[in-house]
Amino acid sequence: MIHARIDGSAISTIRHRSLEGWRLAICQPVGPEGEEEGMPFLALDGLNAGLHQRVLVTTDGRAIRERVGDERSPARFLITAILDEAKA
Amino acid sequence: MRIGQVIGKIVLNAQEPSYEGGRYLVVMPTSKEQLKSGPLEPPFPPGNSLVVYDNLGAREGDMIGYSESGEAAAAFERPTPVDAFNAGILNQFDYQPPS
Repeated sequence: MIHARIDGSAISTIRHRSLEGWRLAICQPVGPEGEEEGMPFLALDGLNAGLHQRVLVTTDGRAIRERVGDERSPARFLITAILDEAKA
Repeated sequence: MRIGQVIGKIVLNAQEPSYEGGRYLVVMPTSKEQLKSGPLEPPFPPGNSLVVYDNLGAREGDMIGYSESGEAAAAFERPTPVDAFNAGILNQFDYQPPS
């Protein structure tokens, strides 16, 4: 799982069919104190995470393919939880 | 998916049969700084570019979301040796990192 902060969103009109209906959140990986770690990436967001909220992201491709209902999905990241507290 | 910008294309001659119907893009991964300042304009600077399989028709200059490793290969009907796959052309960004 990746600990990340929501830094925005992106819209893709021409995309793989399995991404249809999913919000694409721009996630910034962060450490326990909120320090930025590495490059931002895009995760499927079915929880409607708010700007700058901390989230947990899974990289389990097989579970994500099951979740989006498409065994040919190239989706790589999915938000699975929103953190309750900003402190880790 | 990782965020990147298409900076070129590759045309293949001999290829794996399962590659048919697609083409290959040269993609520059997009950093935080780049997201803030917007897409690069040609001429593109040298950097750590990679090659991404595309069947959506992305063009030079486009921003895309691409997947690497197992998820890249998952999109093919049969086992295919591929490292990166274009999952979507990104036409709009709302990027607001905390200042």
